[in-house]
Amino acid sequence: MNHKLVLDHVSKVFGDGDSQIKVLNEVSLQINAGEFVAVVGPSGSGKSTFLSIAGALLSPSSGRIILDDIEINQLSGKKLNQIRLNKIGFVFQSSNLIPYLTVRDQLLLISELAGSRHKKAEQRADDLLERLGLSHRKNNYPESLSGGERQRVAIARACMNDPEIILADEPTASLDSERGRSVVQMLADEVKLREKAAIMVTHDKRMLDLCDRVVYIEDGRLTEVPKN
Amino acid sequence: MFLALREFKHAKLRYFLVGLIMVLIAFLVLFVSGLAKGLSSDNASAIQKMNADYFVIQKEADNRLNRSLLSEDKLRDIEKFAASQSTAPLGIQMTTFTKKGSSKQIDATFFAANVNGVLAPDVVEGRMINNHTTNEVVADHSLKEDGLKLGGHIKDQFSGKTFKIVGFTKGESFSHAPVIHMNFKEWAAVHNLPADKQMLFNVAALKTSKDKAQLIEKKVPGVAVIDKSQALKGIPGYQEEQGSLMMMIAFLFVIAAFVLAVFFYVMTIQKINQFGVLKAIGAKTGYLARHIISQVLLITVISLVISIALTYGVAFVLPNSMPFDLTPPLVLGCSGMFLVVSVIGSLLSLYRVAKIDAIEAIGRAA
Repeated sequence: MNHKLVLDHVSKVFGDGDSQIKVLNEVSLQINAGEFVAVVGPSGSGKSTFLSIAGALLSPSSGRIILDDIEINQLSGKKLNQIRLNKIGFVFQSSNLIPYLTVRDQLLLISELAGSRHKKAEQRADDLLERLGLSHRKNNYPESLSGGERQRVAIARACMNDPEIILADEPTASLDSERGRSVVQMLADEVKLREKAAIMVTHDKRMLDLCDRVVYIEDGRLTEVPKN
Repeated sequence: MFLALREFKHAKLRYFLVGLIMVLIAFLVLFVSGLAKGLSSDNASAIQKMNADYFVIQKEADNRLNRSLLSEDKLRDIEKFAASQSTAPLGIQMTTFTKKGSSKQIDATFFAANVNGVLAPDVVEGRMINNHTTNEVVADHSLKEDGLKLGGHIKDQFSGKTFKIVGFTKGESFSHAPVIHMNFKEWAAVHNLPADKQMLFNVAALKTSKDKAQLIEKKVPGVAVIDKSQALKGIPGYQEEQGSLMMMIAFLFVIAAFVLAVFFYVMTIQKINQFGVLKAIGAKTGYLARHIISQVLLITVISLVISIALTYGVAFVLPNSMPFDLTPPLVLGCSGMFLVVSVIGSLLSLYRVAKIDAIEAIGRAA
């Protein structure tokens, strides 16, 4: 199969009894290798929930999620942890780097968590930093980096475990448009280069031309926006 | 360890401060423990070291060795149940003496015993007395600090008898007074007992089994049999002294646990978002728990090493007369307790970390 990620009639319901809120309603989506998909929609439309479910952080109320040929909607919390560690890369809204780790250690942490810390991991970290133009910053702490640099480190960190899919939660929210664009460009390049997949939740309409597909969420329903 | 060491490096001041508090608390614990041990042996080493398991004591004496009074008849009753070589009569008398040629009064405790029996002390200098001498004694070597020498004479204040010191023992004290050992002939002289009358003494030390001891208590009228720890508690002030010091030590352990618990809990709460991110990128709760515990243990171990060095350093400059006795087993015991307490202190943080949900990382500006 060529699909990296398949969401099949996924619903998520919060609350119980009378106060039920259906945040996602029968959402279906397929993402192929090498595809970069943008998810847009007004606030409160279910974007974050969508990303959390696709990122194995949250279990759906119903429906199936297949990531790299593994059905993950039935897995235990421990297994999901493992999936996140090995198959998914996250880029968070405000980079969320660990403040006491240098840029290089941010990347090595991933291999440390996976229990595979050795020379190869160090080589990989150095290569990633090189490609994202961060080599001269590798011994700096996040506090001394600019917003754009931090997001680039976050992208490098997300790529460190060689994930099948990268999920980005408004990666450009704290950046001006020029820097934001270069960050998203890098993300798109990584996806193409490695034949992986990526989903980016964003508000920023100016970034959409860098994506292969755009889907629109409103009131928990997903609609594909034809690319023009 | 990957995270623990890097975080220490980045937030030096923070961890230095908590380490400093731990050093101070551990130092205090070790110092007070050494003092308690020192005071305990300063108070009652003669009983602690005694080669006996039980003491036969007058029933009305309320476990106080020096209050009890037994006669030779009683001793014969006791010996019916325990072999005579395992039964040793002991006379205890608090007294004051002066050194010959000086008017300075010095406190001591006379111990009278069969010097060939189980209660005979070890002489480290000079020679032992025998059961026939009438004016020779062996004294605890701490009396040297009062100027006593081998061959020197002392005069008992109450009886007026003069004795010659022929030997020194080590670490023999009772009720904070050094012990002077004598035989029963001299004991009779000190108490002005006529030779034809019955010998009187305070207690009989027993080296025997628990069953025998209970049998004696049952069969011999008017006596109680107590074990060594009861006898120690019966020494005036012993229990109060040890009790208050032990309470201090116990409180210090509780304080140490709370300092660590509160410090790490506050830090954990500050870092909830960070832990959420770590969980989102695949860190297991177990990994984060190990991270916190290794930090706590590292701080504790480093603090302990520093405070042990500090305590021995201070002990080194203390005057010899200060009762301070910090033995390696005591240090190890306290250190072990500290490690246990520090892990208990980190449990609150572990609980908090276990509850953090990875989803906190999404849709949230840090």
